[in-house]
Amino acid sequence: MTALFGVAAGIAFLGALGVVLARRTLYSALSLIVNMMALAVLFLLLDAQFLAAVQVIVYAGAVMVLFVFIIALLSPGAQERLRPLELRVVVGAAAAVLFTVVVVRLTLNGITVTASGHFHGVIGPFAPALVDRHGQVQTLGEQLFTTYLLPFEITSLLLLVAAVGAVHLARSRRPEP
Amino acid sequence: MSVHLFPGFIGLSAAMFAVGAVGVLLRRNPLVVFMAIELMLNAANLALVTYGRFTHTMDGQVFAIVVITVAASEVVVGLALITGVFRRGRRLDLDDLSELRR
Repeated sequence: MTALFGVAAGIAFLGALGVVLARRTLYSALSLIVNMMALAVLFLLLDAQFLAAVQVIVYAGAVMVLFVFIIALLSPGAQERLRPLELRVVVGAAAAVLFTVVVVRLTLNGITVTASGHFHGVIGPFAPALVDRHGQVQTLGEQLFTTYLLPFEITSLLLLVAAVGAVHLARSRRPEP
Repeated sequence: MSVHLFPGFIGLSAAMFAVGAVGVLLRRNPLVVFMAIELMLNAANLALVTYGRFTHTMDGQVFAIVVITVAASEVVVGLALITGVFRRGRRLDLDDLSELRR
């Protein structure tokens, strides 16, 4: 288990670095696909089978196909100049890293893991063994359609707005006289 | 899945988020910036699922599904905007596009 986590985490991190460091846009997209596949493996390790499938189908499938289409349409082989490494850019990057550290520190508030393998924090009712017995997807679906029904409906509204907005933005207009 | 991997998952999530944030700041191609944003959303998803798994709640996974939906809509609208910019004959460079007017 630990070895599988190590391999998947390494691939995910290398993919993340590839997205930012690759000079060609298409290579960035391919690195992102590698990263998402590794992330799907990590979701499986976390007993989130449904999310792993969604990750592969929606992200690595639909979203990245759209990305690759747009890259092929707009900038095949374009080499981008990197932003010159000015002081403000370096300060911005350092601030981004610092922000991440602060957020992680804040979310870890009250959670400790002892060396003997005990997890201290607020523990909810959905123990993995219980969820497994009841069915992972069933439990998730029940939660989604009962406790979280309102966010679910709002999400559908968001999808509708996004679809209409994309059609409106990408519609070809006659050139203005 | 033993508890001792919890710091590893959170650390990986933080590292991915930081890489994505640095990418948003350093790159000037809007397509790559979008991919870096996807990276940050993925890192957030990993953190959500990890916390949900280790605190025995389903909230993390439900929220991760919402995040995936938001990411998909964001990509669709963003790519439509980028094609619109490209169709007006502008170079795809965020420094050149910093003014929204022509």
